[in-house]
Amino acid sequence: MAAASNLAHVAMGDSTDVALAAGGDRQAFERLYQAHANRVFSLCARMAGSRTKGEELTQDVFVRTWEKLPQFRGESAFSTWLHRLAVNVVLNARKSDGKLASRADQGEEDEEPWDQVARAPMHLERMDLANAIAKLPAGARKIFVLHDVEGYKHEEIAEMMGITSGGSKAQLHRARLLLREALER
Amino acid sequence: MTNSNMTCEAFDSALPDYLEGTLDDSRRASVERHLSECVRCTSLLRDIENISKGAAGMPDLVPSRDLWQGIEARIAAPVIPLTARPERQRRFSPVWMGVAAAALIMSTAGITYMLTAHSLRSTLGSTVVTVAPANNRVATNTSPDSGAPAGAAAPTPANVGVTSTQPDGAASRAVQFDGPSGRPRLPASLASQSTADREHSDLVYGREIEMLQNIVSRRRTQLDSSTVAIIERNLQIIDAAIAQSRKALARDPASRMLDQQLTHALDKKVELLRTAAMLPAST
Repeated sequence: MAAASNLAHVAMGDSTDVALAAGGDRQAFERLYQAHANRVFSLCARMAGSRTKGEELTQDVFVRTWEKLPQFRGESAFSTWLHRLAVNVVLNARKSDGKLASRADQGEEDEEPWDQVARAPMHLERMDLANAIAKLPAGARKIFVLHDVEGYKHEEIAEMMGITSGGSKAQLHRARLLLREALER
Repeated sequence: MTNSNMTCEAFDSALPDYLEGTLDDSRRASVERHLSECVRCTSLLRDIENISKGAAGMPDLVPSRDLWQGIEARIAAPVIPLTARPERQRRFSPVWMGVAAAALIMSTAGITYMLTAHSLRSTLGSTVVTVAPANNRVATNTSPDSGAPAGAAAPTPANVGVTSTQPDGAASRAVQFDGPSGRPRLPASLASQSTADREHSDLVYGREIEMLQNIVSRRRTQLDSSTVAIIERNLQIIDAAIAQSRKALARDPASRMLDQQLTHALDKKVELLRTAAMLPAST
């Protein structure tokens, strides 16, 4: 009940701040940033397989949000719109950012640990899972994060990534099997 | 392992759809029968379900540094907004606007030249400006008492440089207008000379930029919207670089490198605005 109340408060606060920020109010936009930064960062870092790259992408996402905010029509919740925009920014990040891609594909570890979470101490298993996700091949990792972490449906993932729903399903299964193999070691 | 209804390989193939809940009743019953008899496949299913549950329950991550400052620097760039004008307010034809843009660019470049040249004259004493025929750059005579050489041409924004040699033979200081763009280019020797020079340079750049921004703003409705978006995005990037350079320069005013960085960023802004002002109309 309390959680629902908090969500409602956030949503109501969002709508005011969204309107103010769309009109150029940077303080309102900073409040939106503070409210959503960790979730956006989590999405970016997990999809990119790198905290460092995730930080860069998070900044790109919010700059893009600032630019696009006047076009937000409120047809969905701001958080939904923001996350879709974040996914697009990550997916459209330069493909020629090959260093990161190859690093991730080769399963090299990120420089920083994955155990800095917003709340609650991390269980060992969870940390293992986070590290294993970061080591997945880029394509499988993105689909796993979008589906199993972020809760997108295969049809939505297929549309965002320009692949078929079946392709998304196959990549997800591959990712899960690879994770199981990694976690069994 | 096999049983009467399904092999483990068949189970593996059916597993993604089973997890998605998209198997028909008959296939789902086969999978569940197999699961009731096969330890290997039961273990596989349990592990994958645990992985999915674990992933769904992962808490938010926290960035290791404050990202807002970088975001704010990028969105706070003091760009004059290129506000769209309603179609009915367009009173001039694209051709006329192009001619007007060209004329204004010439005049801003001229003003830039005059402001810069005037300032340098007052700073450096009596400097003689001539044109070097070989490379379109300016040759100079040493002040205070030499006259203009024979064949000296009137300076234009495109070919003028002002150079002065100090009476004591110190190195020359120059402001040059670079090629057809006519933009002011401050060499490092001048760019890092003094705060007064920096302020004067800022004034010149400021006027040039303001005039060009007005031209681009008026032409906005003639340009392709995606082009305008790219221009605006690039201006924001350049403005962020300018802001960062100014901030760094305020902390270390004697830094020649920072001064050059700032000049370079201002040059880039003038160049981009000039290009935008001269772009052909999209229709």
